[in-house]
Amino acid sequence: PVLPQGWTAEKDFKPLGKISKPIQRSIEPVGPHFLAHARRKRHHRTFSEDERI
Amino acid sequence: MSAEEDNGVTVTPPERLAIGIAFGNSNSSIAHTGSDGKPVVIANEEGDRQIPSVLSYIEGEEFHGNQAKTQLIRNSKNTVAYFRDYIGKSFDSIDPSASHASAHPQKHDKTVAFSIHDTSSESPNTVTVQEIASRHLKRLISSASDFLGQSVNAVVITVPTNFSEDQKKELEAAARDAKVELLQFIPEPIAAALAYDARPETEVRDKIIVVADLGGTRSDVTVLASRGGMYSILATSHDYEFAGQNLDQVLIDHFAKEFIKKNKSDPRENPRGLAKLKHESEATKKALSLGTNATISIESLSEGIDFSSTVNRIRYETLANKVFGGITRLIEDTVKKAELDLLDVDEVILSGGTSHTPKIASNIATIFSQTTRVLAPSTLATAINPSELTARGAAIQASLVQEFDVDDIVQSAHPMVTVAPHLHNAIGVLLLSGDASRGIFRPVLDPETPVPAKRTVTFATPREGGDVLIKICEGIRDIKVTKPEPKPKTNGATVKDADEDDSDMSDSDEEEEEEDLRERAWKVGTELAEVAIKGVKKGGKVEITLNVNAELGLQVVAREVGSKTGVRGVVEKPEH
Repeated sequence: PVLPQGWTAEKDFKPLGKISKPIQRSIEPVGPHFLAHARRKRHHRTFSEDERI
Repeated sequence: MSAEEDNGVTVTPPERLAIGIAFGNSNSSIAHTGSDGKPVVIANEEGDRQIPSVLSYIEGEEFHGNQAKTQLIRNSKNTVAYFRDYIGKSFDSIDPSASHASAHPQKHDKTVAFSIHDTSSESPNTVTVQEIASRHLKRLISSASDFLGQSVNAVVITVPTNFSEDQKKELEAAARDAKVELLQFIPEPIAAALAYDARPETEVRDKIIVVADLGGTRSDVTVLASRGGMYSILATSHDYEFAGQNLDQVLIDHFAKEFIKKNKSDPRENPRGLAKLKHESEATKKALSLGTNATISIESLSEGIDFSSTVNRIRYETLANKVFGGITRLIEDTVKKAELDLLDVDEVILSGGTSHTPKIASNIATIFSQTTRVLAPSTLATAINPSELTARGAAIQASLVQEFDVDDIVQSAHPMVTVAPHLHNAIGVLLLSGDASRGIFRPVLDPETPVPAKRTVTFATPREGGDVLIKICEGIRDIKVTKPEPKPKTNGATVKDADEDDSDMSDSDEEEEEEDLRERAWKVGTELAEVAIKGVKKGGKVEITLNVNAELGLQVVAREVGSKTGVRGVVEKPEH
């Protein structure tokens, strides 16, 4: 949508709410994408750190 | 996959050759992934890719697979079949009915055993189900080793989702006895999904998948969320009444009635007649999956009388209608159990031997929307053979973890790694309207996505460009019910009040559901953030990246495509 007149926010970003309560579930330890996830989690890496390697 | 970053210490495991094994109650199969990365299902010495999970003994000689299966007629007491589900269970907890026509399971200490003449000696031996499983695995592995020309020393085995830890432990021991390293157990439905998703032409896409694994003695239905190529199980069902053997029974009864009409004796009343009829009815059933007509012919079925007959597919489908209906209901119930609507399902994977039945696939296709892909040979030309799916999936996983330390595999499968918060609602962007209660919601991250997760999407901006406001909100799954538009040219048919259509956001018209058009929709939930991007070019596009971290903090990056600068912001993690 078009920016309404008079809308202002610090650095053009206005946080309003929070993400609602998640559900705890188990990811199946199968497939290449899981193995990448497990590698990130075990080495406490973020996505971008992982991409750099 | 890189396994070389083990704190700099490179432990070289002895050279492994791993295969995938789909271990079923009725049939098993073995598969290997070659250097080209494509999984191949291996045939045994008899040329079978679907190897019956049957062992039989004649004067101390062991028969396996189809050779053993034919012994169910002449040598049923020394033939062991349908034993997979007895593994790791106490005698009191098993349903032995499938083994009625073969060696009967017996109570033996805390486990199940069979009393069979497996040596040439006069007296029978008591052989535990674990030992039987081990012998079966040995035969499968030796078939694979012969085919590959190298000895196989590691396996990934598929198991049902309700296989208990005790069952896994005992099967692991059976694998150890068969002299192979068990790398991992993987659930059958996940193996089936992986077999499709690992094909090079498949794009990683967020989708809800239903896997219907229709086997010989049981049918298992699983609802999965596939997010970023990772699978989370949302609901499972197991059924022992609507499976392949129930379809065999339909044909057995049909042919038996025909035989009685002509000969006044029931072939089902003597065990050998029944065994012959069962064996041939199963073959007839398979023929009816391929052709529209099938014949059956049995020498000396009962009282020395031969029997031969034909049946066409339509007749069979009529007779089997009840079983087909049971399978469809099982799928509907499982989707409901996952708290989803049939419209939420993107893909249905039909797996298992019974999935070859064309009518089952077409029945299933009718309960879903037209956009749902039903992956079965009769509904999709590029479908993978449903009998091969789980073995292929296991082979793919085997090739992925083959180089890993077993400790690494175990640690990766640990709940510390696998349990993650999954988004309850979708997170996305509100388009078109400035009013949060209206407008169109476009999901960027779907519900059930495990975090951390990151997605990037591109949106068109208002045509004139200028300053643009982006609203990030949560979206709640909803079903939009629309009354069908009255056709303008029908003669005299009541034209419904057009104003009624405006109430379509409320789902109050339950009683007219059949006529109503139901479609997936999103209700706008909590607004999370607003972002302004100023001075967008005419016809410009905006790229938005949403990154949810493990604590559910949300990082937003928005920029016009082509520009270097963008707006960044963070929505703090919630307190709960």
